[in-house]
Amino acid sequence: MIEGRRTRVEPIAAAGILWIALALLACWLAPLLFHIDAYATDVAHAYAQPGGAHWLGTDGLGRDELARLLIGGRITLSVGIVAALVAMLIGTIYGALSGYYGGWFDSILMRVVDVFLSVPTLFLLLFLAALFNGSVLTLMLVIGFTAWLGPSRLVRGEVLTLKERLYVEAARAAGAGDWRIIFRHVVPNAMGTIITTTTFMVASAMLAETALSYLGIGIRLPMPSWGNLLSGAQSDIFARAYWLILPPGFAILITVCAFNFVGDWLREKQT
Amino acid sequence: MLQFVLKRLLLAVPTLLGVTILTFVLLHLAPGNLAQTLAGENASRAQVARITHELGLDRPIYEQYGIWLGKLVHGDLGFSYRRQAPVISLIAERIGRTLLLMGSALLLSIAVAVPLGVYQAVRRNTLFDRAASALVFVAWSMPTFWFGTILIAIFAVNLRWSPVGGMQTIDTISFDWPSRLAHLILPAITLAIVSLAGWSRYIRGSMVEQLQEDYTRTATAKGLPATAVLFRHTLRNALIPFITLLGGTIPALFGGAVITEQIFAYPGMGQLFWQSATDRDYFTLLGMTVITAVLVILGNLLADVLYGVVDPRVRYD
Repeated sequence: MIEGRRTRVEPIAAAGILWIALALLACWLAPLLFHIDAYATDVAHAYAQPGGAHWLGTDGLGRDELARLLIGGRITLSVGIVAALVAMLIGTIYGALSGYYGGWFDSILMRVVDVFLSVPTLFLLLFLAALFNGSVLTLMLVIGFTAWLGPSRLVRGEVLTLKERLYVEAARAAGAGDWRIIFRHVVPNAMGTIITTTTFMVASAMLAETALSYLGIGIRLPMPSWGNLLSGAQSDIFARAYWLILPPGFAILITVCAFNFVGDWLREKQT
Repeated sequence: MLQFVLKRLLLAVPTLLGVTILTFVLLHLAPGNLAQTLAGENASRAQVARITHELGLDRPIYEQYGIWLGKLVHGDLGFSYRRQAPVISLIAERIGRTLLLMGSALLLSIAVAVPLGVYQAVRRNTLFDRAASALVFVAWSMPTFWFGTILIAIFAVNLRWSPVGGMQTIDTISFDWPSRLAHLILPAITLAIVSLAGWSRYIRGSMVEQLQEDYTRTATAKGLPATAVLFRHTLRNALIPFITLLGGTIPALFGGAVITEQIFAYPGMGQLFWQSATDRDYFTLLGMTVITAVLVILGNLLADVLYGVVDPRVRYD
């Protein structure tokens, strides 16, 4: 669609994939290989500068910032990925059924999407997060539950054209039921759109985690996440520990960028 | 035209009803005794009993919904026991401020995104285009509150060019335009940044597409100056789908206002929504959700009407 972009975007997308792989490895493997503790406080060494025993320094309670960054990365990345998968699962099933059956069933389902879309997503998130405050799992579900609307519209649009294809007719002639046609023939052919959207969803779910943690209803301390490390670091500026704002800030920025780059590239590869 | 607007307004009624049902159901998913939560932890038994009776909380849920909806139709959004004020007056006090913030952010986004996108498309694949694309991508992937804090650190704390937060300087009691404006600049930039990034990407993309269309080549071939081709022909066509995009951004702006108002201690609707969510002032949340939904639906309708004004091919049937 956009001339000359293909050759330019690919190395960036490769860098994105590389970064995501490195981040996943670092967050899950490094704590296993090296002894680090994200919860051990050591008030005598609070706000230690980066270097020496603490590569990224320590926070106001003397906890190792690198350890908190890696463990926090586990939380934020899993929230992003699981929430995106939840959103895509709901969105795909909803959109596929709506598009496939069409008619009044489709209109009712799409009206329901309109209803959800007239309420700002952050309002819904705040509402739900206030009702079900608590664990990492509920946060994943809450973010996933508010993010399925866009995907359901995209999948529906795709299914509307796919269901007219000859292979669908062939499957029906061979006696396949609706369920089988939808999930064995139509949905697999919409996989390109679904995977591309999932990539973008991970990026926006990670940003949702940081926003909710900033508002004080995301991941709760002492458990670290990139969102609450970043919002915590803002008050550390006044304690002259300005370096604490950089590691979580760049971790979020680069990782979200990486997912968006990969999504962009996947989308252009399709067209 | 009038018929189209009326029809769309009529279609908005079920959507709005859906919003009230959705929020009402969410409200009743809340764990614990609703009347107790509404009254606050220190409320006496008698108060809780009175609230239970007033709201009909001892009746079946569909009757409660009926009572609440009946009041809503008459413009009564309920009473906030936490804040000891009718919800409608709480909203009325703040809605203008939030709309001012959102409007400024919207104008700022358009004022930057359209020229940037157009210029990038004209000079596509140059160093400038690539640098701008990269910058826009970073802005798109950044946590809003981080960006807002950086702005405060640079412009309010270090350079002292701008106030840190609030709506106007406290020692001035009367309405003070210059002070209000100074308090609006950083929040508006913060709120604008996300939509700005998305829109300039969009404008660039659709301009690049339009510049390759036959009509552009024809206009150039018949000897029109480049600026006339760009602004009278290409940009007009590129902006048509952009109008729908504008309408769809309103919910995101309301959401963004929650975070922006929190960063800058700006006393608008977003701040009230956050406060009500944390102290579980459910009727205030409910009222704000309904009012916001009305504004979102009206915004989409306005975008649809404008779409037809800009694009004469659209027929309202």
